[in-house]
Amino acid sequence: MIDENEFVRLLENEFEDVEEGSLKPDSSYREIPNFSSMYALIIIAFIDNEFDVLLTGEDLRSTETIADLYAIIQKKLNK
Amino acid sequence: MKTPFHLNEKTILVTGATSGIGFQVVKSIVEMGAKVVISGRNERKLNNVKKQFGDAVIQLLAHDLTDEKEIESLASLSVNLNGVVHCAGIVNPYPIRYLNFKKLDETMRLNYYSAVVLIGQLDRKKKLEKGTSIVFISSISAQHPHKGGATYSSSKAALESFSKVVAMEYSHRRIRSNVVSPAMVKTPLYEKAAEDASHESMQAHVDKYPLGIGDPEDVANAIIYLLSDASRWVTGTKIVLDGGCLLGY
Ligand SMILES: NC(=O)c1ccc[n+]([C@@H]2O[C@H](COP(=O)([O-])OP(=O)(O)OC[C@H]3O[C@@H](n4cnc5c(N)ncnc54)[C@H](OP(=O)(O)O)[C@@H]3O)[C@@H](O)[C@H]2O)c1
Repeated sequence: MIDENEFVRLLENEFEDVEEGSLKPDSSYREIPNFSSMYALIIIAFIDNEFDVLLTGEDLRSTETIADLYAIIQKKLNK
Repeated sequence: MKTPFHLNEKTILVTGATSGIGFQVVKSIVEMGAKVVISGRNERKLNNVKKQFGDAVIQLLAHDLTDEKEIESLASLSVNLNGVVHCAGIVNPYPIRYLNFKKLDETMRLNYYSAVVLIGQLDRKKKLEKGTSIVFISSISAQHPHKGGATYSSSKAALESFSKVVAMEYSHRRIRSNVVSPAMVKTPLYEKAAEDASHESMQAHVDKYPLGIGDPEDVANAIIYLLSDASRWVTGTKIVLDGGCLLGY
């Protein structure tokens, strides 16, 4: 599994209006410009695609930052 | 008056019978006098349904409908039918950007391919009696899609077209095929969608329904009509059940 910083870069790359380097592990992903339910779908699909890990709506609700997302992926991968 | 609004002496296959709309269809058509063949993946859940409806459930067919071979064996095992209600279906919202054949297949196999192969196999194995009524469950999202609906909306649009082809190909045996197209209905599938969506976006959606969102019974009632001889001149068509939510569109 890639490290946390690399994860942040990959995620950053998935959104149009996010400049490279503007997100940090402790950034709240809901504060990404123009965040919407579509972005939530994108996050779920991106993670499914990249890591073969399927997050539920509940998983998303329990997370705030990008580091939280990373942690939950790791937890699921280690199961 | 002798009413045609009953299902006495009819044997009807219900797929997706263990949950939501399919489960309610079993309940409603048993009340209307039908015998039912129930299908789902899970034997234990099927046995639970059987327990509730007793002798009216004459056959349990535990098969995964995403698998062609399993559909074939379901069709082989099934008794002869006067009606089919294909309720099994899934919702899997996904942005176009990440879709690939594998991901498309997950939804298309159950929501569309299974319908085609199920009818084909039931026909080849001579399980569809003259005058059989077939009902598919589409969704208003076939015409009114939502973001992330590339798989679901498309699968239902395909299903609606398929139903018309069935209506044409089988009319010489007076076999009819129709679609019901519900908007949001309170089922476990809905609960899952509600859980995935944010609370506000869900509430905003529910607010658009002049008659509120639907109960599985509201869908089952229309299906009873389509299965009964009361609808014997109705084929290749669609009944929209939406609590008025499309009125404003
Ligand atoms: N609820 C709504 O708001 C709504 C609106 C419009 C249209 N619809 C349509 O109505 C239909 C029923 O939906 P629902 O809300 O009642 O869903 P549900 O409660 O999730 O039930 C789905 C049923 O499909 C069966 N199923 C799932 N995967 C299967 C597979 N691979 N092989 C065989 N059976 C399978 C399940 O049985 P097991 O898990 O026991 O296998 C279950 O009985 C679907 O076609 C859906 O698209 C629903």
